[in-house]
Amino acid sequence: MNEIVQLTRRDFLVSTARGVGGLAFASLLEADGLLAAQTKKGAHSMPVDPLAAKPPHFAPKAKQCIFLYMEGGVSQLDLFDAKPKLNELNGQKLPESLTKNIRFAFIQKESATLLGSPHKFRRYGQCGMELSEMLPHLGSCADDIALIRSTHTEAFNHHPGELLMYTGAQTLGRPSVGSWITYALGSPSQNLPGYVVLTAGRAASGGNTMFGSGFLPSTYQGVKLRSQGEPVQDLNNPPGMTAEMRHYGLDTLRDLNKMRLKVVGDPEIASRIASYELAARMQLAAPELTDLSGEAKETLEAYGVDRDAGGLKTQRGGGPEAFQTFSRNCLLARRMVERGVRFVNIHHASWDHHNDLDADLLFNCRVVDQPVAALLMDLKQRGLLDSTLVVWASEFGRTPLGDNRPGFASVTGRDHHPFAFTVWMAGGGVKGGQIIGATDEIGWNIVKDPVHINDFHATILHLFGLDHSRLTYRFRGRDFRLTDVAGKVVEQAIG
Amino acid sequence: MKFLLIVLCLPGLLTTIMAASAGKDIVGPPTLHWSFVPPKHSPIPKVKNQRWARNPIDAFVLARLEKEHIKPSPPAERATLIRRVSLDLVGLPPTPEEVQAFVKEDRPEAYDELVDRLLSSPHFGERWGRHWLDLARYGDTEGYQIDRERPYAYVYRNWVIDAINRDLPFDKFTIEQLAGDLLPNATLDQKIATGFHRNTLMNYEDGVDREEFRCKAKVDRVATTGTAWLGLTVGCAECHSHKYDPISQREFYQLYAFFNRTEELDLPAPQPKDKEARAQTFIESTNQAKTCIHLRGDFLRKGDQVTPGVLSALHPFKSSTASNRLDLARWLVDPANPLTSRVTVNRIWQHLFGRGLVNTPDDFGVRGEAPSHPELLDWLATEFIARGWSCKAMIKSMVTSATYRQSSHSRPELMESDPLNVLLARQNRFRLEAEIIRDLNLWAGGLLNTEIGGPSFRPVTPDDFKKLGSAGTFIWVDTDGPAKYRRGLYVFAQRTAPYPVWLTFDQADPSEVCARRECSTTPLQALTLLNNPVFAECAQGLGRRMLGMKQPCSSRPKPAHYSPSGKDQSRLTSAATEIERGFELCLARKPTNEELVRLEKLYEDEWQLVSKHPGPAAKLTEEARCDDKEAAETASLTAVAQVILNLDEFINRE
Repeated sequence: MNEIVQLTRRDFLVSTARGVGGLAFASLLEADGLLAAQTKKGAHSMPVDPLAAKPPHFAPKAKQCIFLYMEGGVSQLDLFDAKPKLNELNGQKLPESLTKNIRFAFIQKESATLLGSPHKFRRYGQCGMELSEMLPHLGSCADDIALIRSTHTEAFNHHPGELLMYTGAQTLGRPSVGSWITYALGSPSQNLPGYVVLTAGRAASGGNTMFGSGFLPSTYQGVKLRSQGEPVQDLNNPPGMTAEMRHYGLDTLRDLNKMRLKVVGDPEIASRIASYELAARMQLAAPELTDLSGEAKETLEAYGVDRDAGGLKTQRGGGPEAFQTFSRNCLLARRMVERGVRFVNIHHASWDHHNDLDADLLFNCRVVDQPVAALLMDLKQRGLLDSTLVVWASEFGRTPLGDNRPGFASVTGRDHHPFAFTVWMAGGGVKGGQIIGATDEIGWNIVKDPVHINDFHATILHLFGLDHSRLTYRFRGRDFRLTDVAGKVVEQAIG
Repeated sequence: MKFLLIVLCLPGLLTTIMAASAGKDIVGPPTLHWSFVPPKHSPIPKVKNQRWARNPIDAFVLARLEKEHIKPSPPAERATLIRRVSLDLVGLPPTPEEVQAFVKEDRPEAYDELVDRLLSSPHFGERWGRHWLDLARYGDTEGYQIDRERPYAYVYRNWVIDAINRDLPFDKFTIEQLAGDLLPNATLDQKIATGFHRNTLMNYEDGVDREEFRCKAKVDRVATTGTAWLGLTVGCAECHSHKYDPISQREFYQLYAFFNRTEELDLPAPQPKDKEARAQTFIESTNQAKTCIHLRGDFLRKGDQVTPGVLSALHPFKSSTASNRLDLARWLVDPANPLTSRVTVNRIWQHLFGRGLVNTPDDFGVRGEAPSHPELLDWLATEFIARGWSCKAMIKSMVTSATYRQSSHSRPELMESDPLNVLLARQNRFRLEAEIIRDLNLWAGGLLNTEIGGPSFRPVTPDDFKKLGSAGTFIWVDTDGPAKYRRGLYVFAQRTAPYPVWLTFDQADPSEVCARRECSTTPLQALTLLNNPVFAECAQGLGRRMLGMKQPCSSRPKPAHYSPSGKDQSRLTSAATEIERGFELCLARKPTNEELVRLEKLYEDEWQLVSKHPGPAAKLTEEARCDDKEAAETASLTAVAQVILNLDEFINRE
């Protein structure tokens, strides 16, 4: 990875010599005698680059993260947590003791019955991890995966649930896990944002609220990368402003900002100058990042970048283009990891299968199975998996009861289930080939090693060398944490 | 007995008391946390340099500086001062004519007159209304997944702008927003004011338990009231008693009880140009719901029943047995309340100096920062009440002080001892807020529509932003016509998808009370200012203005310094005049010679480039409809304009 990053940086230095980025920032500061002043000021000095590397609390195992988020609530019972007993009891009612005091989004308790899974499971890898046959590619990576079958949440509805999984709270306005990590550690990339978001499928149901920096400075917000066209909003020069014209303008801008810096002595001007240099580098780096022409044919095929839907259809938006977009996103994630982006977020919607579960699940599995597996294998092959944490998450799971809401002609899907669902982690210091936690015979409740979302976040931070109880930010008089007031590291997950 | 009770209920307070006594090694009665002690009208301190001090504020600041043997900074240049005070009070820069007149003016009262003029400008209410809207967590939608539009949310915003413009005293401002409906013979306007607490979120997602989100809204009303008026983190006591401040969970739900007896009511409230408008208001419910503590904040786990009540650590609650929101509001602005006036003057100070006297404007509790100038804070807090809660009077005192008028230039000799300028040995220089940066660009480009009030508009956004709505129900259609050039505070606040420019420039999240915005510097800001279509349009506008071109090229007279002969016939021989004009317009000062030379060189370089290859730059001048030669000038000046609009100085207030 270092080699590639260095190579890339050298490329940018060449571009810089052509004048795109202008003077190297450090020498600029030195020339003005500011660097010495900054160093002297010590703890009080304003950080010139908010994304500069900062030390973790202790030695990290993971240095970068790819956070795969499946919005809507993935059916763990059909993919990750086989329940033969549930199949046996298909069509039967649940004992009232289980549903008493339980809230449902849509289910009518009185007439609801258990819904078995028609999907076959088999054992994968040396560890013999049981997964659905709809995930054959992912199955081939089972030995790298720690499958957490005992995840639980309080959130009942999508948007609060997504907020909880992304930010640790059901409230709007909190920083995302990606923002927290870039805030804590900065980002190794000199040319790209520290936290990048890619989306596929239908639009995210929470808009932009899951990727925000909340009360943290906007430096740490998730920056959307488009897989087609202009890679980042406002990256391209406006119509008529040619690269050469812009080049003259940026040189002048830097000179004038330096003149003002000399007069008023505000170090924030130096930060401003640096931000324009980073922007200019980003203008080169982002198109280079999204240009896949240098990738080997085998790689493109492995990720399925040119696949089509194979005639599959979905009810839930996204459409057949989700196949190519998701594949591209996974490949871009690897390319970003190579280029030093701290946190890559791939958000895929929608998995909210209240009806037509079988057809829609098959569609989504086909979309994600091959590229996610290709990503894991590609990272491994390149020696990046050890330092890259790959996470698969969703806001909740789906219930063992069929969704019999009024208006549905027949029961063909499942309702939301916050009490027990599955997420997984791989790479980045995670001990693969293991299953953490267990649920009861029908997948209703957790019977072993419950993992709350706060615990899950604590574990992610731990892998990055961060103590979740010490990573705080004072806002409105309170030291906020990603893990709110809870969180316990899942030691078993760590290799 | 009462003291004992407080101690029993309030371990946080006790800790403070003990810490305070232990730290200071004082033997005697325990002291309360400073902000719970009523402010005293501090005597004005004696200072040596009596000529410097213009008003009591300066005496407090100077006394402290003299103690540290630090001299204050010289006054800012007059041009800097007029730009500073204009941006601070109305959020718009002075015109070059205003700057020139003010710079030449030597009557001492000229500055006071300027301040009065700005305070009476209708734009004052926009500028300071926006500060209040951050606390009111104003938004144009419901929030959460469905996030549907609240088409008349703006009626409340209109009220805020108007109330601030007429300097509605802050006590009345408070009472009307919290309980306007309960005032005797309440006017429609007073009812509209209760829209403050209608800005909470509601989740209309399928399968949602509405009661859960109604409870969340009430919790938010308590927390927001606590932050906005008391500067206390009351919201922290939702699930358990406050860890540090004397706020028990029971008291949290006693406050909750005030909001649990309300009903939401939408009233017809015709607005100019919108007869159909309806105001979102509150009324007291006829069905007086009981309030129970929510154990661990879970709305389904009911604990003890409570009745409306206030924080026992503060001044007593003068009310009849059946207390309602009106009693709560009056309690907040009771002159005996040690917090409301301090918290409010501190926020005003923060907006004028970039940093509050208490640097944690949202936390005056035990964990907040201590005031840098406690006597000054108390003097201001008591003056505020004495002057009839007039915000304008307080603002005037502050901006006419010598402290405010100082230069903001850094002082290397103080970099080590006072890097954050806590002692106020100079003014602060800080980046302007998201909305103001956009306003300034539109203003410089000659595009700004200064119409005041009315519904929100939706600025241009890219397609992928618009698609965010397809998962819920919101539809974003860019507003066309003059409304799209309105000021930033009228931009439609879609809670789940805030306007991207706002996100990039740290606008307050529209869903949570915010007493202080972040102020970051990022590459995305650079990309926005350089490339965003709105900002690019502003650069073109400024380019045309620099040429003195209100009309398209073809119909305008040639500037005087056009060369009638020579190799570049009818070419602008020097762009110095035009560049100076643009620079002065944007920065309220003339460029230095060095700056001018550099910009002229830019103009020349761009001109050479565009003259050789006019094709690619044609899009920069489309609006101007020029012939090729004039197009090269317009394009080059547009490039110069863009640099000026991207200067750090332009988006800062010095």
